[in-house]
Amino acid sequence: MSTGRTRRSVLLAGIVALTTVTALAAGGCATGGTAAKPAPAVSTQDQVGGTVTVWSWDVAAKALKRLAPEFEKQHPGVKIDVVDIGYDNAYDKITVGLKSGSGLPDILQVEGPKMQSYLSSFPNGFYDLTALAGKDKGDFNAAAWRTGTDDSGKVFALPWDIGPCGLFYRTDVFKDAGVDPASIKTWDDYVAAGEQIKAKTGKKLLVIDPTKDSTFPTLLQQQGQRFFVDGKVAVNTPRAVKAMTVLKTLADKGLVDYEKGWDALVAATKDGKVATTPTAVWWSGTLSSEMAELKDKFAVAPLPAFEPGGTQTSNDGGSLLSISAQTKNSATAAAFMRFVLTDTGNQVSMLKNEGLFPAYMPALSDSYVTGPQDYYGGQTAFKTFADLAKSIPPVEYTGDNSKAADIIDQATAGVMQGGKDPKAALDSAAQQIASATGRQIVPGS
Amino acid sequence: MNAAASPRRLGRALVVLVLAAGAVVSVVPFYWMIVAATHSNSELFHSPPPFLPGGNLLRNLVALEDSIGFSRVMLNSLGIAVVYTLGSGLISAMCGYGLAKYRFRGRGLLLGLVLATMMVPFQVLLVPLFQMMASLGWVDSYQAVILPFLANSFGIFLMRQTFLAFPNELIESARIDGAGDLRTFYRIVLPSVRPQLGALAIFTFMSQWNAFLWPLLMLNSEDKYTAPVALYTLVGGTHVDYAGLILGSFLATLPLMVIFFLFQKQFVSGLLGGAVKG
Amino acid sequence: MSTDSLTSSPSVAAPEAALRRARPRVRITHWAFAGPAAALFVFFFAYPLGASLYQSFTADRAGVPTWVGFEQYQRMLHDPVFWKSLGNTGLLLVIQVPLMIVLALVLAGILNQSWLRFRSSWRIAYFLPSVTMLVAYAMVFKVLLKTDGGMVNQVLGWLGAQPVDWLNNPVWARVSLIASITWRWTGYNAVILLAGLQAIPKEQYEAASIDGAGPIRTFATIVAPQLRPVILFCSVTSTIGTLQLFDENLVLTRGGPDNATMTPVLYLYKIGFDQLDFGYASAIAWAVVLIIGVLSFLQFRFFGNAEREKR
Repeated sequence: MSTGRTRRSVLLAGIVALTTVTALAAGGCATGGTAAKPAPAVSTQDQVGGTVTVWSWDVAAKALKRLAPEFEKQHPGVKIDVVDIGYDNAYDKITVGLKSGSGLPDILQVEGPKMQSYLSSFPNGFYDLTALAGKDKGDFNAAAWRTGTDDSGKVFALPWDIGPCGLFYRTDVFKDAGVDPASIKTWDDYVAAGEQIKAKTGKKLLVIDPTKDSTFPTLLQQQGQRFFVDGKVAVNTPRAVKAMTVLKTLADKGLVDYEKGWDALVAATKDGKVATTPTAVWWSGTLSSEMAELKDKFAVAPLPAFEPGGTQTSNDGGSLLSISAQTKNSATAAAFMRFVLTDTGNQVSMLKNEGLFPAYMPALSDSYVTGPQDYYGGQTAFKTFADLAKSIPPVEYTGDNSKAADIIDQATAGVMQGGKDPKAALDSAAQQIASATGRQIVPGS
Repeated sequence: MNAAASPRRLGRALVVLVLAAGAVVSVVPFYWMIVAATHSNSELFHSPPPFLPGGNLLRNLVALEDSIGFSRVMLNSLGIAVVYTLGSGLISAMCGYGLAKYRFRGRGLLLGLVLATMMVPFQVLLVPLFQMMASLGWVDSYQAVILPFLANSFGIFLMRQTFLAFPNELIESARIDGAGDLRTFYRIVLPSVRPQLGALAIFTFMSQWNAFLWPLLMLNSEDKYTAPVALYTLVGGTHVDYAGLILGSFLATLPLMVIFFLFQKQFVSGLLGGAVKG
Repeated sequence: MSTDSLTSSPSVAAPEAALRRARPRVRITHWAFAGPAAALFVFFFAYPLGASLYQSFTADRAGVPTWVGFEQYQRMLHDPVFWKSLGNTGLLLVIQVPLMIVLALVLAGILNQSWLRFRSSWRIAYFLPSVTMLVAYAMVFKVLLKTDGGMVNQVLGWLGAQPVDWLNNPVWARVSLIASITWRWTGYNAVILLAGLQAIPKEQYEAASIDGAGPIRTFATIVAPQLRPVILFCSVTSTIGTLQLFDENLVLTRGGPDNATMTPVLYLYKIGFDQLDFGYASAIAWAVVLIIGVLSFLQFRFFGNAEREKR
């Protein structure tokens, strides 16, 4: 008796399973074919209301959680749900959501290079914000704005924070070595200063993690390019060779302290092993939170230039906010995004509380940004970065940035630690990138 | 007599020495976790890092509870792991019994499917499996974390091997006494493989407790996070709370240590009961 | 000598005749037992398995997956990183797995000595690494293996040795990977092997010692033959684990430097999730499945003779 029932229910389960599988397979094909459908655009007519979910991480998530209640107060009936999905695996989660066409929240935080790669692989994964926010273009940093637009100039994400680069240096070490920071105008000056510092104090000049290096791409962007130019591989251009040669010189003269991983980079600076850190403004947050005891010992200068009078900054890091095409509440999502990103007061508060340096330029003339910073012995460090931010060269990333970055990391390690010739190493990297991506190499390199 | 005993004693002392050295290598990282968990984040950035425990344990604990609701995510983890362990244990035992003691059409196919799921790198199944969960409307639910892996290939194999060695006479005699198949299974068969079930339970509990990638993908509310998922949010792009991370993962490892310590006899013999029959 | 006595449960495999007698008679409830698991497998994995297989024959063209036949598989044949990752896996299979199994055997042998005190404490100490959460494992190894000021290099320094660049040098990075996998899984395998040892009746050891056999002869004539199925189990699971290696090299080196610690599964993860090329990632995955299948089959053939005789 019981067996008959079991048999029938098992049969039933089998049928249910089979039909579901078939249905899902069909559904899978359908989502795979959405490419023909254009990306949806945010309507400015829709009512603001309901719940909006945001995926974010780290201090950025904290900032949103802090600002959300204010927005909810201004818009009764709205609920903003900020989820900290962690940084390390955030893109696993977002990628699975984009690839499967389901499961994404209304608003996503994405970093610049990743946004470009998503836009190329999932051109319909995000809301087209051109109509809504196109007019704001002039208010945002041009380099950051570029990372949120596709090649045709359509806007898919609004810049949040940026990472203008400068040179953090230890004032006490420079003094001991008798080096005047103002004398460092070019990378050649920088190397010379490094030699003097090493001779006088025994300290190295900078820390580099050659297996996950951000210095080489930073030096590239300083000269107005990253790994690709007009869709072609550009890692062995004369500019790229110049950048790699700077690294090789630093390495050959023994001015580099090699470390692995974020914690080691921080530790090396905390222990005073190195005199400078050429990096982005967010390093400031690390200094003040992990090295409070080194207060008044750091100052900030513009990056050394490649030739006298050249660009003295670059960009490293920075993220954007975008609206997922899967949202059902784009109007409210857009309203919240504007509330966070295009409001001077909120932007300044995020710099003050969470160390997020605004890409929204009106915020950069706020008195907090231009005023003296306590940690830097009263130097107007943020003003230095705010001024530098204006001259960050906008660059192209393409969807193959991370493929290229892996290959470049190997070239960098080969040059710095393996004694390889910069030009030869970059030529071979260019070949590898070209064959891995099916792209051409920029002619004349 | 004494002459013979002392070289042996010396040999044994040497063996214990080597054993102790190995144990130190095994345990040193845990010692370091205790050290790290009792210092402030900023102290950990010193190079060389501290070698002795510090006095920041309480503050780290409070901060951990504050930042990720540590006690709540531990309870979430516990609940999921217990439900998963019970459900998957029962299903593995039943399926293993069916595969070992019955011959039926589709048995080979079922075995093949079990094998295939064991061999396919899980990473490549993530997207289609996620798609299914989304179609079912299960995203951000515990059933999505638990159900897809409830039928556990390892467990099914372990139980199949166990039951292959189970004497048919016992089943036969129960049947002669008039017991139905299911009744025989629950009354006679299951109780006699308790050690193997215990071993399986420990194993599945551990794997679910430490599971990271799938829960990360499925859970979208911070108050539903499991301990590993919540702990990973302490790793930021430009800021990492190492002290909290290490304290949290040390505390999250403790329950597993306790379970292994209490049930290690069962774990060993139960695992073996299935394993040797490979 | 049959291997049946190895099992810790008192039961003995039923004779073939009894099995044959028992099986045809009861057919009604087999799906009641196997059904739930079968339904779960079919329901949850038929589609993902099929979808990933299908995906391995596609490539993204302007965001649209397009059927490309065997193109991804051909691409794999000419991909130096894929071959390097296979080579690394081969190296691990040849060096790490045997090393770990031998260490585990020795450890199990020591832990099985009746004169040893605090046996369960030793056991838990050695088992501990396998229950560590991945995130803690990553932290701990970075601190241990840091070139400058890492614990291992400090100890080497006391012994007068030069610091070693554990994670940035291709050779040492492989050594670090081998050491860390061995650290994590030796105790686990030892515990399983120990169970096998404990199932060998004490009388057999006594008989051997009366015959005047030393420890090596005892091992060769009594322990090794009876432990064979357990060793097989450990090596098959370790082989599958090695071929699917992902966690350890992800957290230690991310496959670097210069792909010296890249493995196929880490590579396919990078291809899929970093580079968003899911077609190629699936093709690599199915190549891994094929390799695992062949290797497991060979291992059973090679080590599993005793098993076949038994059946």
